[in-house]
Amino acid sequence: MKKIDHNPCRHNWPFKGILLSALIVIFSLSDVMAGVLVSPTVIFLSNRSRTGRMTVQNPTDTKQEVTVRFSFGLPESDSLGNIRVNLNDSISTDPNSALGWLKAFPRKMNVEPNATQIIRFVASPPKEIPDGEYWARVIVRARAAETEIPSATDENAITTRLNMVMQTAIMLKFRQGELVSQIEVTDLQATPTPENVEVMVDISSKGTASYIGMLHCRLLDANNNEISKTATQLAVYHDIRRRLNLPLKGNDFKKPFQIELYITNKGRNDIAAEDMISGNEVTLTQTVD
Amino acid sequence: MFYNSRTKTLSLVTILVILLVSYSAVMAQDVANGSATATVQAALVVTAPSALAFGTVYQGVPTSIANNLAAAGRFLITGQGISGVSCYMQLPDYLSTSTGDDRMVVSFSSTDASVDSTGNVDPTSFGTGWQNTDPHNIPAATAVGGGGTTNIFLGGGVIPSVDQAAGAYTADIILTVAYNGT
Repeated sequence: MKKIDHNPCRHNWPFKGILLSALIVIFSLSDVMAGVLVSPTVIFLSNRSRTGRMTVQNPTDTKQEVTVRFSFGLPESDSLGNIRVNLNDSISTDPNSALGWLKAFPRKMNVEPNATQIIRFVASPPKEIPDGEYWARVIVRARAAETEIPSATDENAITTRLNMVMQTAIMLKFRQGELVSQIEVTDLQATPTPENVEVMVDISSKGTASYIGMLHCRLLDANNNEISKTATQLAVYHDIRRRLNLPLKGNDFKKPFQIELYITNKGRNDIAAEDMISGNEVTLTQTVD
Repeated sequence: MFYNSRTKTLSLVTILVILLVSYSAVMAQDVANGSATATVQAALVVTAPSALAFGTVYQGVPTSIANNLAAAGRFLITGQGISGVSCYMQLPDYLSTSTGDDRMVVSFSSTDASVDSTGNVDPTSFGTGWQNTDPHNIPAATAVGGGGTTNIFLGGGVIPSVDQAAGAYTADIILTVAYNGT
């Protein structure tokens, strides 16, 4: 007989994970003196819905001065597979840049302690814009609105203060038309070191939208026993190289080893399901020389 | 007798009202449970629980604070666990007076930052991550720790000249954080 689960929440692990994260955020900010909370972490606009919103919350006990501006920056990799987001404030040469036709309201505000401010976005893309996904970064800058200049204890004293200013760079995506999210692994290398197997994977976007997903990798022995595994979030806009290190744990594994790579856009509970563009899955294996 | 009867009536009415209100609340709760949909959006929080504090310094006496001292600055990044983040620190070359008529050199060496992804908030007891790394080049592999937080501890030094004018000197330290998996 099939067992029926009457508790629909029991298997809702992504929701629980996010809820747990939210609780951690709330409790870990009790001693904060400056900074803001920004949500969501990706903003989606489209030709059907050209407006969007973002929440800025001040979890501190001091008034925060917040400014909002746009920049451009995609996750890019170097030859060693290190990922960085290099922000470019001037007009980008990337044909998928949305800089120049986005507006935010308001752009400068004071947020009182424990208060929330909604920032609204409007996209005004050029007419006849080709179908595709267009990107920008929303830079939210926060600093204490009222800083106390330290007063000298006597007239010959020198006092100092360093103001801590925080900037959060949130991805904004404008989607035009029906889009496809697809990737291709163009190269996969596995190199053993005394303690790890270093995996280098080159991935190219072949779709009309960015690919957002998870990159899973397992190290297996000759009998398919799992030696180690790792998983990381993945965002592919053009081409990217990712490096993964799989620890070689234990000596009783039979060679030759192999790595198993699995890329999927399932498992991203930080982005709402309706905002995800379902993409292809890639599974590859490679023998470790 | 009349008093007792009135009291009994009042008590009965009170009990009925309480029961009715409780029942309504239960019904409302049932309805809420049956139809509730909740969307908890992911958030990214970058905050500074403590500033790098040199305090009072003296003419001609350089003062430095290591990143493992209580006076070190601390940035706190809170978000979804095991998410890669790109961090950039813009560090000043000098502090200046409010009128801008005098400056004092501030320096940050290539070992003045520590990135701790264990949730440890105490710079004096480093957990796991990158210790004594370059604040101008925060490691590319930095991620929000499994517990949902990462701390960056920052040290540095000021070099007042022998004829440094007395007064209050300030400057900005800017930390920019971006998820690199979105």
